[in-house]
Amino acid sequence: MKKFFMKNLSIIALICIPIIFLWHPNWIGFLGFQPYWPLFWLLPFSMINGSINGLIFGFFLGLILDSVTLDRSFTQIPGLILCGALFGKIKINNSILVGHFRYGLICSFGSFLCGTLYFLQILFKSLSDNIVMLFIPSIQNILAEVFLTGLFAPLICSQLLKLFKFSRGKSAIKNYLKN
Amino acid sequence: MLDIRRISNSRWWHKKKNWILFAFFLFLVFVRISKGSFYKDFYYLISKPFWPGQFQKEILLKSIDQESLIKLNLLKKDNMRLREILYLQESSNNDKVSAAVISRKTGSWWRQIIINKGSKDGLELGSPVIGPGGLLGRITDTSLFTSSVTLLTSPESKVGVWVDRIQTNGLLVGTGSNQPILILYSKTADIEVGDFVSSSPASTLLPPNIPIGIVQSVDETFKTKKTAKILLLAKPQVIDWVQIIN
Repeated sequence: MKKFFMKNLSIIALICIPIIFLWHPNWIGFLGFQPYWPLFWLLPFSMINGSINGLIFGFFLGLILDSVTLDRSFTQIPGLILCGALFGKIKINNSILVGHFRYGLICSFGSFLCGTLYFLQILFKSLSDNIVMLFIPSIQNILAEVFLTGLFAPLICSQLLKLFKFSRGKSAIKNYLKN
Repeated sequence: MLDIRRISNSRWWHKKKNWILFAFFLFLVFVRISKGSFYKDFYYLISKPFWPGQFQKEILLKSIDQESLIKLNLLKKDNMRLREILYLQESSNNDKVSAAVISRKTGSWWRQIIINKGSKDGLELGSPVIGPGGLLGRITDTSLFTSSVTLLTSPESKVGVWVDRIQTNGLLVGTGSNQPILILYSKTADIEVGDFVSSSPASTLLPPNIPIGIVQSVDETFKTKKTAKILLLAKPQVIDWVQIIN
């Protein structure tokens, strides 16, 4: 069982994301806003596994999150696919300090990208009626999410990256030993 | 000598009975001067347990209650009959299901709550969900044990509402913020800050007259319509229990 957990740590963490997304812990957020949780998982995963895996798992993550949210007209998939592909191109930096700040900046950018794509969908859907009224709350939402995601990313992403690397290392060693 | 002594013993002030009579007279004078206040107060105290008012009040209130109940039932029947004629939603409040909020997303884009009652408990899509204060949203998804409620603040939510003071229907649109926006498709609508907004009697989706919110600010920048920010009466970010109208 332990071996299974160690080997599939990233997938198990992936399953936990919708739970945190639904749980929506208020004590972590600010004024009801929350960081964009999926990026905390997607960044370390894509950095380790590359762009193609990032893209595919971004799509999977989007599918799961779309199924737990009620918005039928809007989807999170495009944003997460883009982020997954982009994050895969980023190389792991050995400097701890630079690495930490980088996670914050990258996740903030990813959150901005996802938020903007989501906002564009809302805008496109309500093109005929009330665009002006949507602008201010939407920009507020995007900025709050960008700020919170950037704030928490250095803490969470670095830990997840360590865990995923450790898990991957373990399975790689075992595969090597088996061969 | 003996005769004289007998006479002095028989003076009127030597008789106790006379003094009692005098005291009683003085008491009556006091009562007269005080206009009977002492007497009335005393009567107030001794008669208190026998007052008829308490009992009569209960009877009166009971009969008023009964009268109101009869009137209410008649109006309800009348209302239902008229709504049937107009093919509108019924305003039955009898079938309410209570449920606890198990997940809450009240910030950012996704504004929804998940409750611990689902299709197993007979909940249906589109059922209105109310909390302390008024309407929260409508059920848009059910599983066996849970139901998801789209809040009025969600960008996907659009609900017909009624502004009682100006007797006008409007559209309440969620914008992804805590204050949804009311759109009145009439530039002449005299909407003011503080106006009360409830669910529309003409709505085919919601029962009528469920309290929703209060107008917080009015925007008149549009040429053909008026918009207003609505402060919701029910606060989804703090509510732990809700009721679903089936």
